[in-house]
Amino acid sequence: MSGNTPSSSRGANAVINDERYRSIFYQVVVFGLFIWAVLSLIENTQINMATRKMAVGFDFLKNTAGFAVAWTPLDYKPSDSYLMVYWVGIINTLILAGISIVLATFLGFIVGILRLSKNWLVAQIASWYVEVLRNTPLLLQIIFWYLGAFANLPRPKQSIEILGFESLVLNNRGLYIPKPQPEDLFWLTALALLVAVLIAIVLNKRATRKQQQTGKYISTLVPTLLLVFGLPLVVFVLTGMPLDWEIPALKGFNYRGGGFVLPAMLAVMVALVVYHSAYAAEMVRAGILSVSKGQTEAASSLGLKQSFVMRLVIIPQAMRAIVPPMISLWMNVVKNSSLAIAIGFPDLVSVFMQTSLNQSGHAVEIVALVMAFYMTVSLTISACLNVYNKKIQLTER
Amino acid sequence: MKKLSLLGLGAGLLAAFSFTAVPAMAESTLEMVKKRGHLRCQVGQPTPGFYNLKADGTWVGSDVSICRAVAAAIFGDPQKVEFQSVSSTVRFTALANGESDMLSRTATWTIFRDTQLGLNFTAVNFYDGQGFMVRKDSGIKSAMELEGATVCVATGTTTELNLTDFSRMNKLDIQPVVFSDNNVRNESYLKGNCDAITNDKSGLAAILAGFPDKEAHIILPETISKEPLAPAVRKGDSQWFDIVRWTVFALISAEELGITQANVDEMRKNPPNPEIARFMGVEKEMNKGLGLSKDWAYNIIKSVGNYGEVYDKYMGFGKEGIGIARKGSPNDLWTRGGLMYSPPFR
Amino acid sequence: MTEITEQNKVSEKFVPKPSLPPPPNTTGAIGWLRYNLFDGFLSSCLTVLSLIAIGFMCVNFYEWAFAKAVLEAANRQECRITPTEFGTCWAGVKFWFTRFIYGRYTDTEIWRVNSAAIILILWMIPVWLPRVTAKLNIALSGVLIFPFLAGYMFLGGDRNWFMEIMVSVALGCFITVIIHSLLCLFTGAGISKWIIQLTGFSNRSERLHKFPVIMFAVIIFLLSLFLISDVAFKEMPNNLWGGLFLTLVISGIGIASALPAGILLALGRRSKMTVIRVLCVAFIELFRSVPLITILFMATTMFPLFLPEGFHINKLASAIVAVCLFAAAYMAEVVRGGLQAIPKGQYEAAEAVGLTYWQSMGFIVMPQALKYMIPNIVSNFMGLFKDTTLVSIIGLYDLLGMINAVSQDPSWIGLHHEPLFTAAVIFFIGCFAMSKYSQYLERNLGAGHGR
Repeated sequence: MSGNTPSSSRGANAVINDERYRSIFYQVVVFGLFIWAVLSLIENTQINMATRKMAVGFDFLKNTAGFAVAWTPLDYKPSDSYLMVYWVGIINTLILAGISIVLATFLGFIVGILRLSKNWLVAQIASWYVEVLRNTPLLLQIIFWYLGAFANLPRPKQSIEILGFESLVLNNRGLYIPKPQPEDLFWLTALALLVAVLIAIVLNKRATRKQQQTGKYISTLVPTLLLVFGLPLVVFVLTGMPLDWEIPALKGFNYRGGGFVLPAMLAVMVALVVYHSAYAAEMVRAGILSVSKGQTEAASSLGLKQSFVMRLVIIPQAMRAIVPPMISLWMNVVKNSSLAIAIGFPDLVSVFMQTSLNQSGHAVEIVALVMAFYMTVSLTISACLNVYNKKIQLTER
Repeated sequence: MKKLSLLGLGAGLLAAFSFTAVPAMAESTLEMVKKRGHLRCQVGQPTPGFYNLKADGTWVGSDVSICRAVAAAIFGDPQKVEFQSVSSTVRFTALANGESDMLSRTATWTIFRDTQLGLNFTAVNFYDGQGFMVRKDSGIKSAMELEGATVCVATGTTTELNLTDFSRMNKLDIQPVVFSDNNVRNESYLKGNCDAITNDKSGLAAILAGFPDKEAHIILPETISKEPLAPAVRKGDSQWFDIVRWTVFALISAEELGITQANVDEMRKNPPNPEIARFMGVEKEMNKGLGLSKDWAYNIIKSVGNYGEVYDKYMGFGKEGIGIARKGSPNDLWTRGGLMYSPPFR
Repeated sequence: MTEITEQNKVSEKFVPKPSLPPPPNTTGAIGWLRYNLFDGFLSSCLTVLSLIAIGFMCVNFYEWAFAKAVLEAANRQECRITPTEFGTCWAGVKFWFTRFIYGRYTDTEIWRVNSAAIILILWMIPVWLPRVTAKLNIALSGVLIFPFLAGYMFLGGDRNWFMEIMVSVALGCFITVIIHSLLCLFTGAGISKWIIQLTGFSNRSERLHKFPVIMFAVIIFLLSLFLISDVAFKEMPNNLWGGLFLTLVISGIGIASALPAGILLALGRRSKMTVIRVLCVAFIELFRSVPLITILFMATTMFPLFLPEGFHINKLASAIVAVCLFAAAYMAEVVRGGLQAIPKGQYEAAEAVGLTYWQSMGFIVMPQALKYMIPNIVSNFMGLFKDTTLVSIIGLYDLLGMINAVSQDPSWIGLHHEPLFTAAVIFFIGCFAMSKYSQYLERNLGAGHGR
C-alpha cells in the first residue's frame, strides 16, 4: 500500500516484512470490514423495516404506557409514559440485584467457611448445598422457591405477625412493614448519622495507624458503635422525634398503607441469594485454601488467637483470590435477576422487554435500551474490578 | 488453522440449519408456500382448547384446525403444515419478518395491531372476553366487589391492559400480579396469593378444568373486554389475506349449510341446492381469484369438519374439549342468535 | 553411651512392644462421632440442627414423592387420591417421558438421535484411553467434523453436494478413528504406522511416507461416499426437535463453536493492534454484560431484520447463533485466563527461537494454556447447559418447553410439579457428573489456579 514506488526490490521487501506496516495494513482491513458490516446491517435493517411497514424511532417512549406495575418504590401511575416504565424497571432491577448481592456474598462466606468445618456432618451438608444449587438451573430454583415456599404463606386474614408486632406482618401478599414518614427536622438526625460515620472512620484509621507504629492493639468497636448509634439517637430525641410511621392495616382484601415487599420479590431474592451463595462459597473456600498452610502455622506460632489468625492473616490474603471472581459473580447476579419475570416480579426485562414491547411493538429500540442498561452496569462493575486489581497488584510488590 | 476450522463450522451450521434463501417479499405468499410444499403456521405456546401438544408430538386444537384447513385448501392435505409455536412476546415480529406465513393463535384484533404492526386480521373465529374467577368462599358475586383485590394476570397480552383499564374506570385499585409462566400464575391463585385470576373466559374455563376442586371456584358474570380472536397475515398480500379469510368463512358457511365432515362427499355428489353446489366448486368456479383448486372448500370440510364440529371437539364438551358452552354465546351461528356469520358464497 | 551401643547390638533382634491401644472414645464409631460431629458445644449444636433439617426434608419429600404417588393413570383426573386432591402423578411423567427427551421427534426415527449419540461417544472414548495416540486429532475431528454427520442424521431429507461430501468425510473420519483406536489398543501402533508397514513403504525414504496415508484417506472417503449413497433419511424439520435432545444440541454447538471463536477473541484481546483489540474487547464486553435472555430476544426479534432481503433465518438457527455469541464471549475470558497463566518466558523463548506469531501460539502457548483451561471449559459447558433452558422463554421446545406443554394438554392439564422435579433431577445428574469430572481434572492437572 505505501510501497507504491519502491526504489528497489529490497525496499519493497523491507516494507512488506516490516511488522509495523503489516500491522497497520491488517488493522485497516479489519476496520474496513467492520465498518462495512455495520453499514450493511443498518441498511438491511432499514430496508427490512420499511418493507414490513414497522414503525421506527424512540418517539414511542413518550406515549402512555397504560398498564400497572405490581411493585415499585417510584411514584408510577398507569398514565405515565414508557420512559417512566424504563426507569421503574431499572430501579426495581437495581434494588433486587443490590440486596441479593449483599446477602449472597454474606451467605457465601458463611457456607464457604462451613465447608471447611471440622464437623463432618456440617461440611458434608455444606458441600451438598453447593452441589445441588450449582447443578440445577436457576429458573427451576426460582419457581421452586416461589411455589414451594412463598406462595404457601397464610392469607391476609391469618397473617403472621413477626415478633408479635401488629404492624409487621407477613402473608401471601407480601411482607408489610411500617413506612417511615420523616417530618420537618428529621434531616438533622440524618446529618448526625453522617457526621458520626465520618468521625468513626477517622477514629478507626487513627487506631490502625497507632497499631502500625507502636504495635499496640486498640479496640475501636465499642466507641464506633456508640458513636454511630448514639449520636443520631440523641439528636433524634432532642429534636422531638420528628418521625411518623405509616402503619399497614387490614382493609378489605388486604393490608393497606405502609411499605410492602411482594412475595415474588422475596422468592426471587431468596433464589438469587441461595444460588449465588453456592458459587460464592466455592470462591471463598478456594481463596482460603489458596493461602498456604505455613501462614496459619506461622501466625499460630507467633501466638495469635485462632480468631485473629483467620481475621488478620488468612482472610486478607484470601481476599486477593476471592475478590476478582466475586465481582464477576456480582455481575451474574445483576444479569440473572432478569429471570424474575417467571414468577412476576416487575424487573426491567419484565416490564420493559415483555409488557412494553408487546404493547408498543418497538422491538429493536426496546432491546437496545435494555442492553444499554445491562452494559452500563457491567462496565461499571468491571471498572471497579480493574481499580481493585491494580490496587492489590501494588501491595503485592 | 483456527480460522479455517471456524469457517468450516460456520459453513456446517449454515448447511445443517438451513438459512433457507427465500425471496421473501418479491413472490406472493401463496407461491412461496406452494414451492415450499408446506404451510408455516404460527400458533402459541400450548393453550388448552386452542392449540395443544399431544404426547405423540402432534398439535391439536381449534386454532390448529384453522391452520390445517388452510393447508387443506392449498394442498388438499391437512398434514402439510409446519407448526411454529412462538411465545406471545415475539408473535407479531415472527409474522412480520417472514418466519411464519400466517398466525392462528389467540391474538386479539385491535386497531393498533391491525394498523401499526404490519399485519392484517382476517376473520374472527372465536369471540372471547375477559373475565374473573374467584373462590366461592370469598363470597364475591360481581367484579365490582373486587376493590383492593390482588389479581393474577399473564404478562404481555391485552389482558394486563384491560385489567388496568377496568380498575381505573371503576376506581377499584386492583393490584395486578404479573406472571410469564401460566402454571405459576394458576397455582399462585390456587394457593390464595391472589384474590382473583383474570384471563379470557375460554382460558378461565380451561384453568378451571385443571383444578382439583372445580366446585370451589366461580367465574364472575362480567365480561370486561371484547376479545375477537382472529387469524392474521402479513400486510400487503391481498390474495393470501383472502385465502385465510375465506377459509374461516368456509368453515362457518359449511355449518350454516349443514355440510359436515361425514356428509361432505355425499353433498358434493348431489348438491341439494345451488349454494352448496357453488361451495363445492361444482357449479360456479369460486377459486379463480384465490389461486386455489376448484375443490378447496370441499377439501377443508373433508379434512377438519365445519366450524361447529371443530368447536365441539376442542372448545365444547367433546372428549378433548375444555367445556365452554356455545349456546347463547357470540360463538353460535347468527341463525341461532350468535355472531358467527359468513358472507355468502356466490 | 554404653546404653546406645548395647541397643545397637541387639537392634537386629529387637521386637517392639505392641503399641498401646488408643484411648477409649477416639476410635471406632464412637470416636469418629466424637471427633467429627460432637467436637465441642458449637459443633454439637450444628450437628443437631443439621440432623433436624435433614429429617424434616426427608419426611416431607417422602410424603410428596412416595406416600401420595400415583403410578398408573391415563389422565390427570385419574390421579386423584381424594375427591378434592391430586396425588403426585408420576403416571403423567411416565406417559410423557419420551417427549421430555426427544421432543416431537417421530417415534420411529428416534433411533437416529440415539445412534448419533452413540457415534459421538465412540468417537470421543479414545481420547480417554491411555494407549491411543493422536488424541488431539481425534478430539478436534470429533468437535469439528462430527456436527455434519449429526446434523444430517438429525435433519435427514435431501443432501446437497456439500453435505454429501461432508457427511462422507465425517463417516470416513469416524471409521478411521475406530480402526486407529483398536489398533492402538491391541498393538500399540497407530494407523499410519500400520499403513506404511503393510504397503511396504517402511523401508523407503521418510518423505514418501505420506503417500500411502493419503491414499488410504481417499479410499476411506470413497468407501463412505459409496456407503451413504443409498442412505436416505426421512426429513425431520427442526421444529420437531425438542426436549433434552434439543438442549444438548444447542449447548453442544454453542460450546464447540465457542472454543475456536473464544481462542481468536482472546488472542485479539491481547493483540498489539489497537483496532483489533478494541473490537475484540467490545465484542466480549457486549455479550458478557447482557443476560442471555436479552441476547435471545435480540436474536428472535432483530436477526431477521439484519439479514439482507431474501434471506430467512429460522428460530432455532437464530437461537443457536445467539447462544454461540454468548458462549464465545465467555470462552474468550476462560482462554484469557489460561493465557495469563503461561509465564512470560515461554512467549519470549518462542520468539527467540524464531517462531512466527501463529507458530508460537499454536505449538508453544496454546497447548500449555489448554491444560489450564480444561476445568474451566467443562464448568463453562455446564453453565451453558443450564442456561439453555432459557430458550423455552422464546418458544423453543427444549426440556422446559416440553414440560410446559404437559400442563396445557387437556388430559394432563395443570400437571407441572412432577415434570419440573424430573427436569431438575435430569439437570442435576448431568451437571453433577460434569462438575465432578471438572474437579477431578483440576486435581489431576494441578491447575487449580486457572483464573
